[in-house]
Amino acid sequence: MNDGPLIVQSDKTLLLEVDHPSAAQARKAIAPFAELERSPEHIHTYRLTPLGLWNARAAGHDAEQVVDALLTWSRYAVPHALLVDVAETMGRYGRLRLEKHPVHGLVLSSTDRAVLEEVLRAKKVAGMLGNRIDDDSVAVHPSERGNLKQALLKLGWPAEDFAGYVDGEAHAIDLAEDGWTLRPYQREAAESFWEGGSGVVVLPCGAGKTIVGAASMAHAGATTLILVTNTVSARQWKDELVARTSLTPDEIGEYSGAVKEIRPVTIATYQVLTTKRKGVYPHLELLDARDWGLIVYDEVHLLPAPIFRMTADLQARRRLGLTATLVREDGREGEVFSLIGPKRYDAPWKDIEAQGWIAPADCVEVRVTLPDGERLAYATSDPDTRYRLASCTHAKVDVVRDLVAQHAGQPTLVIGQYIDQLDEIAAMLDAPVIKGETPVRERQRLFDAFRSGEVGLLVVSKVANFSVDLPSAEVAIQVSGSFGSRQEEAQRLGRLLRPKTEGRSAHFYTIVSRDTVDADFAQNRQRFLAEQGYAYRIIDAGDLSGAE
Amino acid sequence: MLDALLVAGQTTSDDLISIVAADPARTAAALDRLLDLALAWEAPGGIRALTGVADALRAMPGVVSGLRPASPEPAPPDEVAARIAELSPAAAALLRHVDAHGGEGTTGSARRTVSPAEARTPAEELLSRRLLVPREGDTVVVPGEVGLALRGGRTTTEPVDEVPTLATSSRDAALVARTAAGAAFDVVRRVELLLDHWGVQPPSVLRSGGLAVRDLKLVARELHVDEPGAALIVEVALPAGLVAEGAQPDGSPAWLPTDEFDVWSGRPIAERWSRLVGGWLASSRVPSLVGSRDPAGKSWNALAPELSSGLAEEARRLALRVLAEVPEGEVLAAGTGVASLVQRIGWLRPRRPAVFTDLVTWALDEAAVLGVTGAGGLPPSGRLVADGDLSGAAAAIDDHLPRPVEHVLLQADLTAVAPGPLESEVARRLHLLADVESRGGATVYRFSAGSLRRGFDAGWSALEVRDFLTSVSQTPVPQPLEFLVDDVARTFGSVRVGHAEAFLRADDEAALAALVHDPRARTLGLRLLAPTVAISTSPIDVLLPRLRELGAAPVVEAADGTVRVSRPDLQRARPRRGRRPAGALEARQAAQVQAVATAIRAGDRAGASRPTLTDATTPSGALAALREAIESGSTVVIGYVDNHGASGERVVEPRRLDGGRLSAYDLRADDVREFAVHRITGVRRG
Repeated sequence: MNDGPLIVQSDKTLLLEVDHPSAAQARKAIAPFAELERSPEHIHTYRLTPLGLWNARAAGHDAEQVVDALLTWSRYAVPHALLVDVAETMGRYGRLRLEKHPVHGLVLSSTDRAVLEEVLRAKKVAGMLGNRIDDDSVAVHPSERGNLKQALLKLGWPAEDFAGYVDGEAHAIDLAEDGWTLRPYQREAAESFWEGGSGVVVLPCGAGKTIVGAASMAHAGATTLILVTNTVSARQWKDELVARTSLTPDEIGEYSGAVKEIRPVTIATYQVLTTKRKGVYPHLELLDARDWGLIVYDEVHLLPAPIFRMTADLQARRRLGLTATLVREDGREGEVFSLIGPKRYDAPWKDIEAQGWIAPADCVEVRVTLPDGERLAYATSDPDTRYRLASCTHAKVDVVRDLVAQHAGQPTLVIGQYIDQLDEIAAMLDAPVIKGETPVRERQRLFDAFRSGEVGLLVVSKVANFSVDLPSAEVAIQVSGSFGSRQEEAQRLGRLLRPKTEGRSAHFYTIVSRDTVDADFAQNRQRFLAEQGYAYRIIDAGDLSGAE
Repeated sequence: MLDALLVAGQTTSDDLISIVAADPARTAAALDRLLDLALAWEAPGGIRALTGVADALRAMPGVVSGLRPASPEPAPPDEVAARIAELSPAAAALLRHVDAHGGEGTTGSARRTVSPAEARTPAEELLSRRLLVPREGDTVVVPGEVGLALRGGRTTTEPVDEVPTLATSSRDAALVARTAAGAAFDVVRRVELLLDHWGVQPPSVLRSGGLAVRDLKLVARELHVDEPGAALIVEVALPAGLVAEGAQPDGSPAWLPTDEFDVWSGRPIAERWSRLVGGWLASSRVPSLVGSRDPAGKSWNALAPELSSGLAEEARRLALRVLAEVPEGEVLAAGTGVASLVQRIGWLRPRRPAVFTDLVTWALDEAAVLGVTGAGGLPPSGRLVADGDLSGAAAAIDDHLPRPVEHVLLQADLTAVAPGPLESEVARRLHLLADVESRGGATVYRFSAGSLRRGFDAGWSALEVRDFLTSVSQTPVPQPLEFLVDDVARTFGSVRVGHAEAFLRADDEAALAALVHDPRARTLGLRLLAPTVAISTSPIDVLLPRLRELGAAPVVEAADGTVRVSRPDLQRARPRRGRRPAGALEARQAAQVQAVATAIRAGDRAGASRPTLTDATTPSGALAALREAIESGSTVVIGYVDNHGASGERVVEPRRLDGGRLSAYDLRADDVREFAVHRITGVRRG
């Protein structure tokens, strides 16, 4: 018996006892191949998935190392079947290679003839391959590079892509490190991306993913296409790039619903790319408008399905994915892996928080009790209106007022889903509202005012969830959310995780109606936060004054 | 040796020694031993095998050289070699092929008696040179002397006195022991989980005596193993006596845990493991066949009675014994190790049927799953198993098994992690309060409102739950968990359900209280629910008179809350009826009068109508008749099928006919009505 900090379960989860003296070493050993699933206070759960193991393979770890790490740190014997499975799964990666052949162009080759035969016989890949060149290689239609990788992943034989990238049109981009420097982890992330060629960098919200993007662009020194979620975030990218690199505003173009500029560095929104008119994507030409040397995908976990299809055709260009989480609500992690690339860098939130780059957050769930009248209305209402009824109870408005009063002077965001409710709260607090119908210009103005401290309180709807950088927010009060999605929670928390002045911690309040579906959804939320390692408290609305 | 003797028939010892591919001294020694055993004897013409030996060997499948006995008067080796040399390449290839595949083939159309010169096919070439000898039917065999010649004058091309070596590689002995212990722990846990599950939801026994494929799939899912793995677990539980055929309450046969399972699950893990291993070692079951198909193409079911082999036990013991020869710190090499062990066993037991090698391979696989071997080697516990010392093995493995723990770690995400096998009492309680999320060396439990409610249902109070959590947790109980417990406790039992035959309601609290506490009402089973409401366990018809006796004046409430006034039922008799009731007679008379009047009126109308309406029964006729009636303003009788499909007659004055609808004055309804034309079955004059 070994006194290691790790327990390997037969269902392929790894439990890491955090308080164990050698926990840090063990974490370091398993982090490359195991996905951190949850990190509550005592025991962190990692999971071994084929994708995780292949990611590790792509990063140069082999099965021997993985097995060795498990055996070294495991407290109990490691289930034999699991070890066999690890070796087998990892052995599957790289048996097939996509390579550039001087004569035949793109070829799929294999050191293992049986695997190649198996793959060639699969119906899914039949149309993508050309002539057999010799026993161990077969020609691939260059246009099918992405589709083939996708199909091979589904067959369980992910191919390693050595076919290289086009350099793209050169365009000098340098980091302008005046008054700031690249943080160590940002540098590492950009470098490991560059070495890997293409892939995804996973960093928490607020850890400066834009900077990693900028650093990678500097590495590439080529024209770059940046795909972002929405216009506001496109502007932020632009501002950030102007501030942090040698690029001038003239060199950066925006390609969105409103403006269609194509410049050496072009920032486009997912939405404009995926707009479909009469069955075709009219803006697809953007992808070929220039000889892009690098394509950056912001918020990879939100990539809409059509973008995947477009990405399949872009396999010859370097691709950088930036995200806070690889978890996708739609479970298409495999597509990210095969089309954008394996994970190249990952740092858990807590580690970066411990280094002081992001603010610690204090998560509080405030429970309100529905007044008797509303309770009856709730009980007799249809299931599809229940959530709305429960989330929009008037009792919440009072709590919001108390909380805002408590944190007077601290920049505060009130986040919600239902416009009526937000309007009501805004009217009561006399604060501006940002919702879907607010024009982009106005949104930008309010966000700027909030950042500069002119406006201390902002009521925002879902639109503020993604990629809007509000580093000054110290308090967020969430009054309703869309059915407790994990990804939304990550975004909302992300609003708050930017480093604060004077080392103050951020506060994240969620107001929940007791004994309703609202509370059930809150449970998901709570689980997510606790799994992410945040201290999570529940208080009653009545005890609010005593909470601080 | 014996094999060579049979090939050669009657021969001299020198000859024999020359044809066995082995060290002459050893061959001679082996020959002496055969003579000692009286399996061979020195006949005047040379040594020969005992008459029965050839038959006995032939009856057993396995072979060493695969050579047939030589022909009665074999040609000298040189001549045979010369004959082989003159063969055409095709014929030579054919000969080697036949020799390599059992030395027997069929000739097909080849002629048996041909001379070398006129041979046309390779087969005929061989037959003509007596390199193939015809036997009964159209089979031909390679005679022993030819086979010897093909193998360079020996019975086997490989030397037979060299013990096949085992391919090994070095591996840390501690690692071997730990891997084995891990597997052992796993198998015990899985068997327990399986039988716990089967105790609640037993799978039924197939008519053929096995376990249905569907049930095996369920087991596989439940235990997180693949189907062969699940089959092994099931098949290991069987010889250990932990599972047996039993009957469900409805009498249908089912696989159930035995009562010995209860004893077993209370024992320490090492002991439980040794029992499983003991059962496995001595059993004739062949779990690895599960899922494969029998010769008839039917797949084998787990636990099927046919799934056994007399050789299984020998294969297991032999495999372990041979493996025990591998020194500590060494294990079978990955890839080649198992093959070399199988080869060694093939050498040790040359005359086993071909399936024996499969059995040995399977035995090794099973041993790995059971934790008898680890990483391809035998740990000390495995060595003791190989020697048959099961209790010693249990003691040896015990050091490597996880120690039972008595505490868990509670976390804010509402999970509890037991970092080792939980002490059984704690485990049982935690099992009640939380759902298991992940199993293995550790167990992860998740608390939810549902799981806690289960605890409350079992009679726990919020205080007890919290005390229990505090006592088993090494760390403070996280606040969200406390909230959850309180939340569930708060809603638990807020609505109560009970059984009552009747309820009593009174605005006068004092009166109701007096009634409930009246000693004479004790038999009524009255209970006060609220100051103004009481229930009774007596039905109303008993309750009502008793309450009246007690001086109350109860009123019965109907289901909708209204008061039901009841008075004593007055009894009445029915008057006797005459044979012909008066009413009937009157009715008949009235009907007759009516009929006469109608007839007269109809006659009048008929006379008045111009032009004369004709009865119509066809749709077109009906339409024509209706139009006539509209024009003449006359009354008609229409046959009409109403919405409900009931047909009847209406006396109407048609007014208008358009759009498939007839608008008419209905005499009976005294109103204008609309009739759908397609529903009018006929029109007749009114």
